[in-house]
Amino acid sequence: MRTFLRRLRKTNKIAYFSFWILVLLYLSAVFADLISPYPYDLQHRDYPLCPPTFLHFFDKEGKFHIRPFVYNMKLVNPSLNTYEIDYSKIYHIKFFVKGPKRKILGIIPSERYLFGVEDGGKIFLFGTDMHGRDIFSRILYGARISLSIGIVGVSISFLLGLLIGGISGYFGGKIDTFLMRVVEIIMMFPSFYLMLALRAVFPTNLSSVQVYLLIVVILSLIGWASLARIIRGMVLSLKEEEYILAAKSLGLSTPRIIIRHLIPNTFSYTITALTLSIPGYIIGESALSLLGLGIQEPYPSWGNMLSVTIGNLRILTTAPWMLIPGFFIFLTIISFNFLGDALRDILDPRKW
Amino acid sequence: MGLLEIKNLRVCFDTIEGELEVLRGINLNIKKGEIVGLVGESGCGKTLTALSIIRLLPKTAFIKSGEIYLEGTELVKLSKREMENIRGKKIGMIFQEPSSYLNPLYTAGNQVEEAIKEDLPKIEKRKRVFEIFEEVGLNRSDYFKYPHQLSGGMQQRVMISMALINRPVLLLADEPTTALDVTTEAQIINLLRKLIEKYMLSVLFITHDISLAKSFADRIAVMYAGQIVEIGDSKEIFEDPLHPYTKGLVMCLPERYKRGERIRTIGGNVADFKNLPNGCAFHPRCPLKRKICEIEDPEEKRIGNRIVRCHEY
Repeated sequence: MRTFLRRLRKTNKIAYFSFWILVLLYLSAVFADLISPYPYDLQHRDYPLCPPTFLHFFDKEGKFHIRPFVYNMKLVNPSLNTYEIDYSKIYHIKFFVKGPKRKILGIIPSERYLFGVEDGGKIFLFGTDMHGRDIFSRILYGARISLSIGIVGVSISFLLGLLIGGISGYFGGKIDTFLMRVVEIIMMFPSFYLMLALRAVFPTNLSSVQVYLLIVVILSLIGWASLARIIRGMVLSLKEEEYILAAKSLGLSTPRIIIRHLIPNTFSYTITALTLSIPGYIIGESALSLLGLGIQEPYPSWGNMLSVTIGNLRILTTAPWMLIPGFFIFLTIISFNFLGDALRDILDPRKW
Repeated sequence: MGLLEIKNLRVCFDTIEGELEVLRGINLNIKKGEIVGLVGESGCGKTLTALSIIRLLPKTAFIKSGEIYLEGTELVKLSKREMENIRGKKIGMIFQEPSSYLNPLYTAGNQVEEAIKEDLPKIEKRKRVFEIFEEVGLNRSDYFKYPHQLSGGMQQRVMISMALINRPVLLLADEPTTALDVTTEAQIINLLRKLIEKYMLSVLFITHDISLAKSFADRIAVMYAGQIVEIGDSKEIFEDPLHPYTKGLVMCLPERYKRGERIRTIGGNVADFKNLPNGCAFHPRCPLKRKICEIEDPEEKRIGNRIVRCHEY
């Protein structure tokens, strides 16, 4: 791992940076309950569509405070959701403040939050949505869905793709012909419509977890096909390699040769393809959620957080902070792309 | 009865123009502990002979007829699963270019360990690998090295460890030293000799270097165009070659000539399997060609303890 990082830093600075951004994003998704100042579904009824609160160091009299503080917002026009800063009281930011009880990582019960403000104050780093829910917290929780869906989906479809591609390439003949026709049938459909069709087959009144699993399965059932075809091609050429003949001459069984000798030799390609295809899953989930077929409210995902915004032009103009989840999608995808590009260069085992 | 007996082995390639016979009736016996050198020009079917014994012919090739017995077991009739058990366990094979016959992704020790057929705990397996590494002259630290970190000679030692770790009875050595330089070649040959003696191995030693075959093998089989044209003790073959092709090969060796003398070569080109001449395949290049050579393919004739395929005898 250390050599990997060193190599990454040497070959590609942007990719190195992207790597750490991704680490940060994933860590914050894992520790969402610790970092977020509010639970994802807590509605601050008095603060719908509240703009982001700024951190201040100087108060109105120009006095400097070492501890940053915020002012509360006051709703002046409820029909237009316009706010005014209420300068009457300052609320200092504090660490490990008390809040509603929840369980960190689903195990450790706690009522402390990593940061927050004193009683009566509100902190919305990225503003709130129309129900008054803190977008910053929701992004952290949404990251759990949006970031893990890529990893889980990619692993399922890669398992399928590697195995089917490996078998197809190794055995050739009728098995190959059959499997490749299946692949072509799947690839024939425009993937987005296939996704919609598959989703439509299943009922809509599922729980969040069920929907999540369903989306992962749907996305990976579409994703494996193109990979299987590439793996097949690679295996076709790799199986003529001499070390495969040597492995056969040692009497290794066919499954063993495929799994131990052929598939690992495709890794320099597949690991790259893996990182490059994760964004597809994130976008896929976002797209489904955007159409209301993905993760259901109140649980957030980056996609369904955006969907509210896209459907309402007024919100788009008056509350642009609602688009912040989109920025995170962008950040994740571009980081994965940079990283994938760099991996292509440094992951060739023959160059080690 | 020998340890390995090949009887009238015929191997064909499937081509668009039809079947192309490339091994045309091979008969060969190897006794226990005997080294048989298989000599011939490139493309005469030496490697194919070895690959048919271990049943790893290319996809387009198949055994048309013939029998191969290893310790009395008919190999040609065995199922795929049964053959997997023979490979590695009874027959070991080493190849020409060790660098490309090792998987670049795994360490040397890992690959040797994988070759162990017995179901042993991991520590035992590793111990076995260390033992054989010592025997072939590798260090323990080489266990953790990747193929590209090893030199050609060391890679070949790893290959030898892989082939011998299950104590097979037969070793197929397909030009094991061709890709190595002369000093390494000598080391590897000496190592092989030592191991063969120790384990009483029978060896089919494939080479195109007839002088190497002479110094290494007990008997030599000379191949031409998919047939064995002459078999005999290596010394006899060298001193008194019977078949004109063997004569030609022996005459090509530089050590037969004085300084300044012109080395004789065999005229003509290697026979093309696609249009083999009628009769004896060697007749277009043969200095002793007669009428009958163009009409009839000579049978194998036994002369003393030698076998030769030529109308001269």
